[in-house]
Amino acid sequence: MLGPPLAVALGVAAALAFPEPSDTTRARILLGGLEMAVPLAAAVACATLIGQDPAREVQLSAFTPYRITLLRRMTVVLAWTASVALLTAAVLILTGWWERWPQNHGALAGQLTWLAPTLALSGLGFAAGAVLRSPAAAGAIVTTVWAVQQFFGDAVQAHQPGRLLYLFATTRGVVPGDWTANRLTLLGTGAALIALALVLLGRPERLISEEDE
Amino acid sequence: MTTFGASLRYEFRMQVRKRSVWIVPALTLVLFVLIGGSLLRDLFDPGERPLDPRTGVVGLAVQLHALLAIGFGCLLADRLVRDDRLGVAPILDATPASPAARLLGKYLGAAAATAVPIAVAYFGFAAAYAIDTRQPVALAWALAAFTVVIVPGLLLVAAFALAVPMIMPAPLFRVLFVGYWLWGNIVSPEMMPTLARTLFHPLGGYPLDALFGFHGIDGEDTWAGPVTGATFNVLRPEPTPVLAWLSIALLLLVSAAALAGGHTLRARRLR
Repeated sequence: MLGPPLAVALGVAAALAFPEPSDTTRARILLGGLEMAVPLAAAVACATLIGQDPAREVQLSAFTPYRITLLRRMTVVLAWTASVALLTAAVLILTGWWERWPQNHGALAGQLTWLAPTLALSGLGFAAGAVLRSPAAAGAIVTTVWAVQQFFGDAVQAHQPGRLLYLFATTRGVVPGDWTANRLTLLGTGAALIALALVLLGRPERLISEEDE
Repeated sequence: MTTFGASLRYEFRMQVRKRSVWIVPALTLVLFVLIGGSLLRDLFDPGERPLDPRTGVVGLAVQLHALLAIGFGCLLADRLVRDDRLGVAPILDATPASPAARLLGKYLGAAAATAVPIAVAYFGFAAAYAIDTRQPVALAWALAAFTVVIVPGLLLVAAFALAVPMIMPAPLFRVLFVGYWLWGNIVSPEMMPTLARTLFHPLGGYPLDALFGFHGIDGEDTWAGPVTGATFNVLRPEPTPVLAWLSIALLLLVSAAALAGGHTLRARRLR
């Protein structure tokens, strides 16, 4: 629960710490908090959903399929993240900081700034959790993918597939014309990864066999 | 000593057999190769690789350390709290074995095991590079860079990964850790106040600069020393070999302090 608000707070702190009086860069850092920090917090939480229940056998014998229970938990995580992100975006729009970043894409479509990477990265975390059944490993994969895109942003965007899957296209995108395709690709990727996780979670023997503790 | 040795051996064997300890670095390396632009490709391209073997393997150490340390920290983040979660801790606490020796053994054993894939990857690529360029000296530089640059950084990460989840949930630690790793290592001091390029730089800015003369693959980067107009310049004296060793000692000292903090917290909870 603490992750998304803390992520927003760190984004604001980073914007305030920027030493030069440039509103554009400060606005970029504020939107960057929404695009970078918020999805990371949500995704690591989603990566932790699988492999933590102490009584999985009981869950598997319940009337509600266990994968539906896990999907509901993921929905709670994403709904809380969305609430925090929307509130932050509303504050940025009302205070004028949103439009000070030229590639903001408007108040409505611009919400894909946080929504698309959140769904893609959370889907990755959920799918990695379903495959590995280890919150530590799934969290490590999410943070590594996020860090690779941070450290090697230019190399990732050097080719079209990389640009379509780049998580930070609003604040660090090199080809602004690719933004809409990028956001839709991320949404589709997130949905596909969640579907993959649900298929894997439909096999109970995967959930009660030996874990990678 | 017996407690320490037994704990170290047990933790090492348990951790090194975990599939995820191998899968996470392997996937990271695959991703690293796929994106291109990294030294993993350039080292084997005669037109792109650095002419000096020292620059080549030290640059490889920086890139692998920057990236693989993230998975390393995340994988270790549940090691100490896990004993409580599984109910093993009270049983171990009831034995005459010293808790401090057990913690030290767990720290070094789990950290060493999680570092094995990193070492295998690094020395594997360094060996392939040495053979490809017919410069065996590259392996000696790789050994030096691993010992002086990568090991102190990993020891720091491991100490915090064990201790900090005592005061916050492990997932939150993972988020804050990767944020810190970016801020404290990569973010430019001109952009915002950061500990990057200071004496407390887990990527090893001072050893890279003063002990290896490393200034990036193209020789144009600065890894340590004062930055005009930046905050925390008091922590960025001009690099010298003495300061490089001091920087390593500082990382080890902070690691020991973090571990001692974790030990104290556990001891208080037991009372």
